[in-house]
Amino acid sequence: MFDGQQEYLVEMRGISKAFGPNRVLRDVSLCLRPGSVHALMGENGAGKSTLMKILAGVHKRDKGLIRMNGVDLNLPSPREALSAGISTVFQELSLLPNLTIAENMFLGREPQTRTGAPDRRRMRAETAAALAELDLKLDPDQLVSTLTIAERQFVEIAHGIKADASVLILDEPTAALNAADVEVLNRSIRNLRAKGRVIVYISHRMDEIFGICDEVTVLKDGQYVGTRAIADVTPDQLIAMMVGRELADLFPARAGNLAQPVLELRGFKAAPKARAFDLTLHQGEILGLAGLEGQGQQRIMRALIGRHPVFGGSLHLHGQALKFPNRANGIRSMARLGLGFVPEDRKEEGLMLGLSVAANLVIGLHAEKPAVAPARALRDVVQRMSDALRIKTASPATPVGALSGGNQQKVLLGRYLAQGLKVLVIEEPTRGVDIGAKSEIYGLLRDFTNAGGAVLVTSRETVELIGLCDRLAIVHGDTVVAEMPAGQATEHGILAAALTTEGVAA
Amino acid sequence: MNPVLRRLAAVPPAYYVFALLLLVLWIARPNMLNPNVLGIFVRQVVPLGILVLGQLLVMRVRSIDLSGGGVILLINYIITSRTFPEASGLMFILMALAIGGAVGLLNGYMVAKRRVSAVIVTLAVSIILVGLVQFLSSGKPPGDVPKYMNEIFDIKYGPLPLPVLFWLGCTALMWLALQRSVYGRYVEAVGENAEAAAFSGVPVERTVVAAHVLAGLIAAVAALVQTGSIAVGSVRVGLDLPILAVAATILGGVVFGRGEGGVWGPFFGVLSFALLFVVMTVFGIDDPGKLIAQGVIILMAAILYGWRSKRG
Repeated sequence: MFDGQQEYLVEMRGISKAFGPNRVLRDVSLCLRPGSVHALMGENGAGKSTLMKILAGVHKRDKGLIRMNGVDLNLPSPREALSAGISTVFQELSLLPNLTIAENMFLGREPQTRTGAPDRRRMRAETAAALAELDLKLDPDQLVSTLTIAERQFVEIAHGIKADASVLILDEPTAALNAADVEVLNRSIRNLRAKGRVIVYISHRMDEIFGICDEVTVLKDGQYVGTRAIADVTPDQLIAMMVGRELADLFPARAGNLAQPVLELRGFKAAPKARAFDLTLHQGEILGLAGLEGQGQQRIMRALIGRHPVFGGSLHLHGQALKFPNRANGIRSMARLGLGFVPEDRKEEGLMLGLSVAANLVIGLHAEKPAVAPARALRDVVQRMSDALRIKTASPATPVGALSGGNQQKVLLGRYLAQGLKVLVIEEPTRGVDIGAKSEIYGLLRDFTNAGGAVLVTSRETVELIGLCDRLAIVHGDTVVAEMPAGQATEHGILAAALTTEGVAA
Repeated sequence: MNPVLRRLAAVPPAYYVFALLLLVLWIARPNMLNPNVLGIFVRQVVPLGILVLGQLLVMRVRSIDLSGGGVILLINYIITSRTFPEASGLMFILMALAIGGAVGLLNGYMVAKRRVSAVIVTLAVSIILVGLVQFLSSGKPPGDVPKYMNEIFDIKYGPLPLPVLFWLGCTALMWLALQRSVYGRYVEAVGENAEAAAFSGVPVERTVVAAHVLAGLIAAVAALVQTGSIAVGSVRVGLDLPILAVAATILGGVVFGRGEGGVWGPFFGVLSFALLFVVMTVFGIDDPGKLIAQGVIILMAAILYGWRSKRG
């Protein structure tokens, strides 16, 4: 350029892309400054992934130009993108568990010694250097299978930056991480930024966007909405850019006075050394388990269906004393008593992705019947749930895996709503769901409690719990350390309650 | 892939193989395409066809059953060895079902509850049963098959042999059961994603155990038909059937956990084997050649399985 100093390292201008008749990107621009973290935001289906796949050489653009350091790039394949210094870490983990970290890092392009054997010393040294750049203290000879999910994610990122990339694309890198790991990741990202790299950061989580990013570009329906410096916007303004609505409008009104208790835990211990606690869920109530991630929210909830051991306490459902269910038939026995459990992981634990929307909706109802009973099609149920949840699908026979994340989540919820249960225990009601669908799901849960149901819920997004719930129980060290009305809760207050109360007995 | 091609690729390969063999036969020996001749050849594969019904069931819940060979051998031995000289036909049927059911229960318990590899469990069970028969018989061939069994096997209605009708009936029954019962939904759900099925309230372990018990009972029925088809007992009968059943099931478009081929895909897989024997007989290929062809088909089925599961 004229002054010899590039303002932007990468410029994508006027990018358009269509898959068949479906135009996913229209005249979108994205400009990345060196030494910055650039958030890319938008609802699911807004075109973020497609735009990034074009930059990574996975998809070819129909129109527009891409410049790097002022030079036009063609990017016909991922290999070209990689050699241009553009590296991508996708959300799906792609490491081979039975190989070491070093072997994974060099998979398919192992350096060779003179005898043609893989040069293990060099692999080890370069891997150690790449890990050190991320401040990771991992042994390159460690098997990937022995790593935690978070560590694997870091190895993926190390893999991504090892190629000396100047642009690093992170697609929802924190989906599998807890708060402490997110902090380690953020430190690594800041390191990279200080070295003049560009990081494109895709995430749905506001706290991360505001914690780590410098600039944000928002897409909506495949079109460019705008680019802002993070310092100049508020979360509400960002959401308004994405959906054209304010955050407060997302959540339905809270419940009025709480009626009788539905689910009661007394002297409950979710871990051998945890302090025993009491917890009561009332009819008509949405109760949230809040706190730092991985502090036992999930263990408490899974103990209710026998998927996690219980170390003491009693359980009452509708005033009736129950034994804690066992793993073998906990889900079935609790469903018979009117308690349903909605798992967090849609793809692994929730949906049968290859089966139809209809089959996924009615399988819960079928499961209440003996195996030899005739299986009715239950078209009326499918129709009713599709209407009530506004599930967008071409037909009830469409495989559920072909639906968007939001619609998949609605199908999952619909399965349990169709069973006519009284209590729903929900992990992550809106994981990976765009903001429009989130709002609809909040409304559905509130309709459920208004009709006499009760919901116990947890979420990684504290903002969601505050907005959705009537009451919050703060979990720390596998026990409930505080309770507060959600209407008066703040993220800061929850954190303070979690960290200042004596939680762990040992 | 364009939509037409994708449609065509989704059709179970058994239909193509069947059509191809029919075409070959029609060109080479049109006079063989007569119901009486074909009826005889199809009757030969009825034990295989029945065994396949159990195989497709266990494969749809991501398991496999290789114990059918041992079950068939043991039942055949019990009937032909005169160990129970006074036993009536009904007694033999009950004994056969008891053996098949017990073996299936053991398989199911090991696979579903103890999480042992299905291949290893069922193969080991089969080897034990084969060893048992060899021990009981001291290697000598047992006696004759009761006459009435051969007579029932030989009944024909017009050109249609009774065993073929029986096989058709069994297949229709299995189709109806999978299509119309809650158990069929369980099988579908467990095959697609066992963990999600469990979270939906499906009794996953029980579904798998039941599939193995049913497969054991079905193997017992196959053993009875197989026994009816031979005049003299043998210590080698039926041992190649389980692997052929796996091949026919895969040819029929049923791979582990996925059942696009339904019940009729594997049905045509078995028919393809029958036609293959006809075609090879027509071209004067002897038993060694048939064995090689069988092996090639099993190999092709395995390749096909790898390809299909990768696509899925």
